[in-house]
Amino acid sequence: MLRLVLLNVNGVECRYGSVKVIEDVSFSVKEGDFVGILGPNGSGKTTLLKSISRTLKPHKGTILLNEADIYTLKGIDVAKQLAVVPQDTNIGFSFAALDVVLMGRNPHMSRFQIESSKDMAIAKKAMMVTNTWQFAERPINELSGGEKQRVIIARALAQEPAILLLDEPLTHLDIINQLEIMDLVKELCVKEKLIVLAVFHDLNLAARYCTSAIMLKKGKIFAAGGLPEVLTSENIKGVFNVNAIVKKHLVTNSVFVIPLSPQKPPLSKKCAIHLICGAGTGTALMKVLLDEGYSVTAGVLNVLDTDFETAQFLKIPAATEAPFSPITEKTRKTNLAMISKASMIVLTSVPFGHGNIQNLEAAKEALEKGIPVFVLNEVPIESRDFTQGRATALFDDLKAKGATFVKDQTELLSRLNVSEEKLGLAKEGTAKIFNHLKPGEVHKESDITDKHEKSKGGPENQ
Amino acid sequence: MSTDEVESTYFRRTSRWKLIVVLLIIALIVTIIVSLNVGYAQISFTNILAILGKHFPFLNGFVDSSQVLPRDEAIILQIRLPRIVAGVVVGAALAASGVVYQGVFKNPMADSYLLGVSAGAAVGATFSLLFGAGFSFFGLRLVQIAAFAGALLAMFLVYSISRVGSRVPVTTLLLCGIAVNFFLYAIVALLEVIAGDELHAIVFWLIGGFSNVLWSDIWAITPFIVIGTVATYFYARDLNMLALGEDTAQHLGVNVERTKKILLVLASMVTAAAVSLSGLVGFVGLMIPHITRLVIGPDHRILFPTSTIIGAIFLVVCDAIARVVASPFASTLELPVGIITMLAGAPFFILLFRKKKDSYAL
Repeated sequence: MLRLVLLNVNGVECRYGSVKVIEDVSFSVKEGDFVGILGPNGSGKTTLLKSISRTLKPHKGTILLNEADIYTLKGIDVAKQLAVVPQDTNIGFSFAALDVVLMGRNPHMSRFQIESSKDMAIAKKAMMVTNTWQFAERPINELSGGEKQRVIIARALAQEPAILLLDEPLTHLDIINQLEIMDLVKELCVKEKLIVLAVFHDLNLAARYCTSAIMLKKGKIFAAGGLPEVLTSENIKGVFNVNAIVKKHLVTNSVFVIPLSPQKPPLSKKCAIHLICGAGTGTALMKVLLDEGYSVTAGVLNVLDTDFETAQFLKIPAATEAPFSPITEKTRKTNLAMISKASMIVLTSVPFGHGNIQNLEAAKEALEKGIPVFVLNEVPIESRDFTQGRATALFDDLKAKGATFVKDQTELLSRLNVSEEKLGLAKEGTAKIFNHLKPGEVHKESDITDKHEKSKGGPENQ
Repeated sequence: MSTDEVESTYFRRTSRWKLIVVLLIIALIVTIIVSLNVGYAQISFTNILAILGKHFPFLNGFVDSSQVLPRDEAIILQIRLPRIVAGVVVGAALAASGVVYQGVFKNPMADSYLLGVSAGAAVGATFSLLFGAGFSFFGLRLVQIAAFAGALLAMFLVYSISRVGSRVPVTTLLLCGIAVNFFLYAIVALLEVIAGDELHAIVFWLIGGFSNVLWSDIWAITPFIVIGTVATYFYARDLNMLALGEDTAQHLGVNVERTKKILLVLASMVTAAAVSLSGLVGFVGLMIPHITRLVIGPDHRILFPTSTIIGAIFLVVCDAIARVVASPFASTLELPVGIITMLAGAPFFILLFRKKKDSYAL
């Protein structure tokens, strides 16, 4: 039999006393939708679920279940269609887990009925799929948090609902249980055409399972729609005020999110650092150096290289070369121009081949020009030299010419900071230029000079 | 345990429940007959059974009651039996309402006197003992009417103070109950101070006992208790879900606010009726549900009837003890049953505390 289940939320506004918690929330979902409700603490996610679960009557607006207002329907009729897994469950009495799951059958039973074998079969099935049947007879208040949560999910499934509301259902679960439960819910969503509305704190879990998402900010919908359209780094920045990298994962084929630490107030470091890296060896350093307050440039990087993508994301100016191509003369010169503007050079443990050996030569040139070079020597050069010894020779040369070799990132940073203090006094002039610029604004040599001019410029530039 | 065993245990559960209830009812009948034997006058079991049989519609043909003295018949039927029946009714009522309160408040420490019922009854009874002795209405003495009315008034007072919009949150109910209890007990204390000669009667009433119970009192009060208890049993499954939390109960289709109102009004009515008959018998409403839950489990469909019967048995036994325990010292002195229940109740509390000490430790 075909029955289309629809949930419509129209202009809902909820208040606690006189405080508006959610306002003007409208959306509709249909069977088979797996909707993630996302947002920071206090954005009204749980309140929204409460109003849909008939716990908190909206001040304004309606919530329609198959076109009937859930607040005019009888509670027991709503419970036949809609099950809730709350945030935390504290059960004071020692009901057996099976008793708790059987209570999920309540909406389907009349007042004087006792559970039938059919009810028992449904409860057993719900407990089997949630992996809780083995402790069916144990008292619920003696189970662990994760076990208890799975029992509560089993109870919700025993209601045989068309809509499942989950309020941070995974808070108490370890990672394997999180995945198992979500896989199960997803399967029900796909096979049984369940509507699932779930509040998530973990954006990656939401990304992995939801088909669509609603992002709340201060009680209002900030973004809603298909998951890839909602879960963007712009929206994450807008709602959570956090910079995040959003990418499609190669293995799970779903979007994944890497949040970055909230931006600290920039430290007033005066030096510019040019990073010679590639193949992902500079990725971690870029963020660290920016956080330390340095202006950072990088090169030469091949387009599509991990370091290139990171530099783009962090808006770090870089000398770039076409994908999988050896460094051309033109790019080499751009790189050298960048190097000559930098106060210090950092060379990461990047492997060297014939395509990028010029980068190593560039470091040597920098040293010859009197710019300090710091070599992060985490991997011995011999094992990453693919130039039949040429790179190793250059490396020895660097050592002979006075490059500073450091063994790890911590040592690098402390060396850089010491060096920066000395240079800061000596290179006041250069530093002034960089002080006017934020990282990311430097793209070409001309940028630096133009902006320098502008900052000194008269009223015609204002 | 194999999974099939779990299932079959659950299916046998209903018949096991019926068996438990039948056994408890037999135990109650035995307790009644045994306690009919207890008292100052020595009356043999043969005579007790003969007297009872004589008055049972279907048994009287088979009973030879020729040996029974009219004096013994009067003692059994007019003195001992009314006390015992009152014990059954009051014990059942207090235990039943205790189960309801503990379920609704999700707290095993709640009892039947929580919502000001006891204090309201105390104020009503004290007033009537002081100012209206001798008055009666349809066979009920004024003290009973006043206690019943006082209990219900106090309950509605607590209820309406703690109402927030259309909801009655249990926390505010609990706090209002405590506040109203204190206020009303202050009035009782004031009345005791000015009582003079009536003080003795007031103190006895406050302790609770059955020494002056008449058949007419029982006939007037019992319907409230029977109706209230039977009606409450219809909500046993809802009580299970309320015990999981109000939000959960609502998600499972229980009309929480309405059910809560019905249950609290029924339980308060049952308690009010009970205390108007016996005075403030303490600890039955706290202790019996608690012990029963430890043995039977938390499912109200069986917890409620078993608690009710065990409450009846417990109070009949306590009353039998109260009748004779002081006789070695003064042959006709009968203690109020409230003293016995409280003497048994306090050690229980201590035992419980010692057992669960770890979970109270901070």
